[in-house]
Amino acid sequence: MRTVPGPPPSGPGTLLRFERHVLNRAHYRYFLAFTLPALVVYVVFAALPLVNSIWYSLYDTDSGVARFVGLENYVYLFTNPTTSERFWNALTNNLEFFAIHLLVEVPLGLLLAALLTSGRLRRSTGLYRTLLFIPTTLSVVIVGFVWRLIINPLWGLVDFPLLGDERTALPTISLMSVWQYVGIPMIFLYAALLAVPNDVLEAARVEGSGAWSTFWRVKFPLIAPQFGLIAILTYIWTFNGFDLVFALNGSAPGPNYSTDILGTLFYRTFFGSSGQLSDLDLGATVASVIFLIILIVTAAYFGLLHRRLRSYEL
Amino acid sequence: MHAIRASVALVAAAAAVLTAACAPSATPVTTGGSAAPAAAGEKTVLTLGSWRTEDLAMWEDEILPAFEKSHPNISVKFAATNTNEYNAAIQSQVDGGTGPDLITCRPYDVNRSWIKKGYFEKLDGKPMLDSFEPLALDPWSDDAGSRYCLPTAAVLAGFYYNKDIFAELGLQVPTTQDEFLAVLKKIKDNGKYTPLAVGSSESWQLAYNGLYSIGPVYWKGEEGRQGLIKGTKKVTDPDFQKAFDAFAAWKPYLPKGFESLKYPDMTQLFTLGKAAILPDGSWNINQVAVDGLNVGVFGPPTDVPGGDRYLQEMPDMAIGISAASKNKAAAEEFLAWTATPEFLELYVNKLPGFFSMAKQPVTYTNALAQSFADLKNGAKLTPRLGLDRLSAGTPPFDDEVWRVLQLMLNEDLSTQKATEELQKGLASWYTPQQ
Repeated sequence: MRTVPGPPPSGPGTLLRFERHVLNRAHYRYFLAFTLPALVVYVVFAALPLVNSIWYSLYDTDSGVARFVGLENYVYLFTNPTTSERFWNALTNNLEFFAIHLLVEVPLGLLLAALLTSGRLRRSTGLYRTLLFIPTTLSVVIVGFVWRLIINPLWGLVDFPLLGDERTALPTISLMSVWQYVGIPMIFLYAALLAVPNDVLEAARVEGSGAWSTFWRVKFPLIAPQFGLIAILTYIWTFNGFDLVFALNGSAPGPNYSTDILGTLFYRTFFGSSGQLSDLDLGATVASVIFLIILIVTAAYFGLLHRRLRSYEL
Repeated sequence: MHAIRASVALVAAAAAVLTAACAPSATPVTTGGSAAPAAAGEKTVLTLGSWRTEDLAMWEDEILPAFEKSHPNISVKFAATNTNEYNAAIQSQVDGGTGPDLITCRPYDVNRSWIKKGYFEKLDGKPMLDSFEPLALDPWSDDAGSRYCLPTAAVLAGFYYNKDIFAELGLQVPTTQDEFLAVLKKIKDNGKYTPLAVGSSESWQLAYNGLYSIGPVYWKGEEGRQGLIKGTKKVTDPDFQKAFDAFAAWKPYLPKGFESLKYPDMTQLFTLGKAAILPDGSWNINQVAVDGLNVGVFGPPTDVPGGDRYLQEMPDMAIGISAASKNKAAAEEFLAWTATPEFLELYVNKLPGFFSMAKQPVTYTNALAQSFADLKNGAKLTPRLGLDRLSAGTPPFDDEVWRVLQLMLNEDLSTQKATEELQKGLASWYTPQQ
């Protein structure tokens, strides 16, 4: 599979020269020797456990002896009335979790990045940049705890039980997470905006373009390719999401599983919760399904979309 | 080329080790063998795995020194994992061939699965078992009746009440369900205090401190519980429906925004003197009995005046010897010590809210703990309804009870629908109910 993103920035010719240069026999040896240590770490701590968990999902060990059952665990996960209800519920919730991140966090990140680079903050730019990024560095346990106190109906700011109502619980948790991680798209877009050359902006100004049209017609097209990357990172991150929900609501996230996402479903299945025994095979099956959900979309993105994103040559 | 060969070999070796370690093996861990005799003067070090991280200081400063004083050759290390992660941690440790010498045992199904996986040494025939009634040993036995863990403590559930509020409003401690509801209504009509400090955000306590506490009087304790286990009774039977109705009757007396109040919020509401009654477990005694708060405790109300009293006594923890331990003789010595009055008095009085399950009576220095223990006199004891066998499949009965109780309070789910849903879930996998 081709996962190396695109040719180096100076054009297609460089890659050919680059390959021909490096891949001759003498250099190939060093190339391999230098990548092997990283490869070992990757294989041992990422690739093998992944393959192993897929392998687990094809076995049944509940009876005490490992028995190969093919796709039976998957069939059970998707067809057993109780298990499949929980799975589809978690998947739907996860999509909502992702959508809220994409629709709120990214525009907010863009707004903040635009404000930071607008020059209006003058010398306090660095201060704001730091302040806005700080939540990202906080522990989710602290973020969950502080927000839970802020919105507590007994001693907090809102009367409504935001986390206790099935309709508002998941959006509330998603927005807490957005609050925490808005610094990530902000810093991506901030860096991209800083990279926009001054002569282009000066030219726009000379042509009589105002701040608003300079942003949308000059800066925005130049940073547009970043959005694809941010979207796919948000996708991967939200479908691997677990910690904030677990910190706030434990492994059977209520009310009535309305905040259950794939990560907590996996944890509950694999490790068990207070009332539920752990089921290694089914847990591995859930993990493999999560992996496939992420893999398919990520591969589709890099295979189809990413190379079509047009970067403007400057 | 050497660099490459070495690297390739490293990758191959690492891969081989990992594959071997991760192969799906469900066979019990049997490494370790018999106790290695400690050389003279050398200390055997035991580790005791537990989910009670909050007890670290108590074990290290009080209990373990007392043990080590009479057993100078053994030193014990208290190794606690967070409650939520304990089961997973023990399982991954023992399956991986490590893990503590002494394992704190969860009651019922989790422990039964651990017994099945061969985590424990069998205790059959050991004299230390004689200190306990069979009823206290059952939660930690296999289907054939073999014993694997020695009971340490049980917890009780009841109602804490603010004596000052009761005096201010001229209320008597209720003994029947009618009296109980009348008291709640009076507090609500007065308007100054929240009648019941209950939030529904953490659904476990709706079951453990709610339904499983007030329900046994309707399903007749062990009779109803064993009936469900044997399949002779159904959750939809009138006895169980009455219990769910009694629980639903709480709803008008809950604080505002109860849907998102967590367990610590409930305790706080009560200890700040803003709520009159807190349905809770005995384990919360220390948090509830704060300075300046005049707290009493009463048991679940009876169905009719003079009717049988029931009380939830939940076996909470026991200790077993790991089959993989290399220090089994020392571990056994420690375990036998936990059955002695010396340990039990020390333990229950250092941890008010936990109650000894041993035959010999124990005196409690904490007044509130003693009044909790007094509730046991003349009451029929029964553990939590959903934990024994009924939760060993999907959907787990206990988790489902939590969920429907939360729905009953949050979304006004009817008793009829709630019990039907529970029965349907149980019948979908539990053979005696099919």
